[in-house]
Amino acid sequence: MTETTDFEAKRDIAEIAVERYKQGRLTRRGFIAAMGALGILPALNSKVSAQAKEIVVVNWGGTAKDVLQEVMCDTYTAETGIPVVVDGSGPSAGKIRAMVESGAVVWDLCDSGAGSAIILEQQGMSQPIDYSIVDKSKVLEGTAYTNGVGNYVYSYVLATNPKMLGGNVPQSWEDVWNVKDFPGMRTFRKSVRGQLESATMAQGVAPEDVYEVLGTEDGIAAAIAKFRELRDNIIVWGSGSDSQNLFLQEEVAIGNIWSTRAHLLKDQMDEGAFQVSFNGGVIAPGIWVVPKDNPAGSEEVMKFIAHAQDPALQVKWLEMIGSGPINPEAAALVPAELAPWNPSSPENLATQILYNDEWYAKNQVSAEEMYIDALIN
Amino acid sequence: MPRLGEKTQYWLLVLPALAIMIAFYIVPVLGIWQISVTEPASGFGNFAKAAQSNAVKTSFVLTFRVAAVTTVGCVLLGYIVAYAISNYAGRLTPLMLALVILPFWVSVLIRSFSWIVLLGRSGLVNDSLRGAGLIDSPLRLMHNEFGVLVAMIHVMLPFAILPMLTNMRGIPDAYVKAARGLGASEWTAFRQVYFPQTLPGVMSGALLVFVLSLGFYVTPALLGGGRVLMISEYITYQIQEFLAWGLGSALSVILLIATALVLLIAARFVNLRNALLERK
Repeated sequence: MTETTDFEAKRDIAEIAVERYKQGRLTRRGFIAAMGALGILPALNSKVSAQAKEIVVVNWGGTAKDVLQEVMCDTYTAETGIPVVVDGSGPSAGKIRAMVESGAVVWDLCDSGAGSAIILEQQGMSQPIDYSIVDKSKVLEGTAYTNGVGNYVYSYVLATNPKMLGGNVPQSWEDVWNVKDFPGMRTFRKSVRGQLESATMAQGVAPEDVYEVLGTEDGIAAAIAKFRELRDNIIVWGSGSDSQNLFLQEEVAIGNIWSTRAHLLKDQMDEGAFQVSFNGGVIAPGIWVVPKDNPAGSEEVMKFIAHAQDPALQVKWLEMIGSGPINPEAAALVPAELAPWNPSSPENLATQILYNDEWYAKNQVSAEEMYIDALIN
Repeated sequence: MPRLGEKTQYWLLVLPALAIMIAFYIVPVLGIWQISVTEPASGFGNFAKAAQSNAVKTSFVLTFRVAAVTTVGCVLLGYIVAYAISNYAGRLTPLMLALVILPFWVSVLIRSFSWIVLLGRSGLVNDSLRGAGLIDSPLRLMHNEFGVLVAMIHVMLPFAILPMLTNMRGIPDAYVKAARGLGASEWTAFRQVYFPQTLPGVMSGALLVFVLSLGFYVTPALLGGGRVLMISEYITYQIQEFLAWGLGSALSVILLIATALVLLIAARFVNLRNALLERK
């Protein structure tokens, strides 16, 4: 199995720090702390973590680091007295493996992805989740692995600008491919992640059958053909901020973008000029992974994971950064005005499919090649 | 103090630059050549893979096409500018020269971004045209090959102007005057006497622009909307997205060889030594 964690998606959450700061949603102190995390803190942390009875949680930096510290970690310290420090240096599967093999593990808990979680489990680099402490019912179905458990979600969603479209808004991926009734440019990611699914649904395939259809060579070829058909109306986004800019500058009126970016756009665009539909969306979970031989010990970390399952805390997380709660119970606590933007609300969950890491491990590389060819050739 | 031989002096002067080139250029390039035939397996698998891929072929064709059009555009526009400066600017020459060089003080990234401001759907050009009632809906000026070419020509223009200007300023005006005195029309004097003397400048400007354009990355990435995928961006993509160092390296080796071939072919038609090294 190949490494399938979407590092760009993770890093993008870091970039959102800058946006929030500009909007005045993040304090200066918080901003500096978040920025510092991108480069300086990891070195400090490795020293700090040598002390006993401290938990080091690692994610991908930026606001996500700041918010994780404030929402999950500081509250845990307040409750238990055990210090929890967030390190934003990016726990890729490669780094975790290097750390475990060198015998000098300084990380206790890592914000990873399903693909990495499975590889690390197979290679014996991670620890099983203790489901007597961590509650299996408090995570989205399909995100409780033996050696990994869901921590938040983000989605690939259908974003539109009703103002530019004159109120004539596409409701499904089939509509997105209908250039006659919905003219104008669309944006898709410069990668097949979360995109081939849309093209498959645009052929009338039911969401629950998407990965089954994509499991065959014909299915992939058909999805690629859909992009070839639409390509004159496609502008490709590389980074999350690209996708945001394309909407802000009104270069596109329709697009398949991350829900976390949509969360920012809803505040930046004029009233009535931006909306998203989770209909046919692809929801991707972040996964907690505990490295083997972590310094704080298994039990301490499990208690922290259980603490982070608290629905109220997860709603706060959503409010601050747009990451959706992994705990289905949290949906009920989400303020009404935020509910339509929550990737894991029951209404939005019902119309989405879960990102299939196994499919990506098997098919992504060859599909990417075909995808580029379809777009440029 | 013992006098050093002329040869020794020569090598002492060349040595620092040579050492830097070997350490930071030659060695890494050899490293890339090595990776291209060793990862993921020994042999020419990466090259076979590249040869079979349609996307790679398209990207190469696109890269050479964009570089060729950019070169033609730069030489045409640049020739006019260089001609005007060397023959008509007079006391304003230093100012004109400064204006040509000025864009180098601004990074390519910023210059490309400013094209986005100009060419965007609600950019300055589209807004003005719409305000003047010339168009109803915005024109697509970027996120396509057109936008890439406009910005590339802008970015590369000084590289075409400077060699041509140097060349033209070295041409004594006595020749043209003599031709005119002997009864040639202004056009004939330019075409038969002046223009042939500027060819070395034109060739060196063209080669410089062409070779630089082949490896260009920032401008196409920003203005191409993802669909003008130059080979350098494709290489980045292979390495960053797939960690496919072997294939990425193989592609850069192919690009290097292709560029060398272009130079070789050019050498059949023009005297490269003349064009690049000696000022006439």
